[in-house]
Amino acid sequence: MGNETVEAARIAADAAAEAEHSQEMIHYLAWNTPLGEIHMQTMMMTWIAMAIVFLLFFAASRNPKMIPSGLQNVLEYFIDFLDGLMESNLGVKGRKYMAPFIITLFMFILVSNEIGMLPQAGIHWTSPTNDVNTCFALSITVAVSVYIVGVIHHGMSHFKHFISPNPVFLPLHLLDAITKPLTMALRLFGNILAGEILLIVLYELVPWVIPELWVMFSLFIGFIQAFIFTVLALTSYATVFGEH
Amino acid sequence: MVNINATFIWQIVNFLILVFILAKFAYKPILNMMEERKNKIASDLEAAEKAKESAGNLKEEYQARVSNAKQEAQVILDNARKTAQAVHDKIIADTKAEQEQVIAAAKDSIELEKKKAMDDIRSQVINLSMIAASKIVEQKLGSEEDKKMAGEIVDALINK
Repeated sequence: MGNETVEAARIAADAAAEAEHSQEMIHYLAWNTPLGEIHMQTMMMTWIAMAIVFLLFFAASRNPKMIPSGLQNVLEYFIDFLDGLMESNLGVKGRKYMAPFIITLFMFILVSNEIGMLPQAGIHWTSPTNDVNTCFALSITVAVSVYIVGVIHHGMSHFKHFISPNPVFLPLHLLDAITKPLTMALRLFGNILAGEILLIVLYELVPWVIPELWVMFSLFIGFIQAFIFTVLALTSYATVFGEH
Repeated sequence: MVNINATFIWQIVNFLILVFILAKFAYKPILNMMEERKNKIASDLEAAEKAKESAGNLKEEYQARVSNAKQEAQVILDNARKTAQAVHDKIIADTKAEQEQVIAAAKDSIELEKKKAMDDIRSQVINLSMIAASKIVEQKLGSEEDKKMAGEIVDALINK
């Protein structure tokens, strides 16, 4: 009886250790607060990413030069790139309205994706976007803001696009409204999380060269995912600003 | 790993805060500067185009002026040449006329002198012949030789 209890406790302890070990690969440092469970690792990395994005733009915007150089040049390159995307999807009016949101969206996702690839020296760097909460937070924010911006611009007639070209398409539009944020979030989450897990696995298999190559590729993936997320967000806003 | 919890809410809040802060403090100067630069480049290009156009006009104007000036200079030169030629011709003609006049005057005076000399010679000859004739007449005319001489004179006069 006593043996069985000890055995059961040992099995439970092993399972717990195993669970702990499996959690170690990517751990979110969950805190139970009165407001619910919060992933502190994700939160801290988010704040770092926010600080980086803010400092980049703040430094560049303090004394913008007519002839740009250095940091201002780099940021203007990104802004110009996003301006081009916005103008082709939303038109000039839409670009001016949405620029702060879209630029922040792209830069935040880009910085978030890339900081997970920083060397693990002193700080345990992870991407905030390796947490499904972050990805859903972003995609739901985009989805909801499309309705808000749509209602601001067109009133309730914004919702008419659910029955265009005719009411038969309503189920398809509803499905699209649900699956779009879902796929956007899961695509970003899956790519970034997989990138980090594979990096850890590669370090354990081959400690040299291969992980570095994977880091390079992941940096590229980080950019591509930020780009894809932004473009998909823009196609959502195109229903508001596009000439339909 | 896929565990949706309160983090979701906080991430929305975080993101909206970031959008708000950046929109408020960072984007305006950069976006304004980019817009300003865009406008400046456009206006500079336009100004350059205008300057180029006016420079082209000025060039054409100056070219026209230069060619006009050349033509005028040519006209002036031609006139000067004509005038010079006319003056030259006149001087030559005047000189010739004067020369001819001088020559004619010289010829006249030579002719006059010659005539005067001839008259002198004639009067001298007449005088001499009168003297000679009176001397001859003072002597007797009656020899055969006299008769022959008178006859020759008469012949000569008749044959004349």
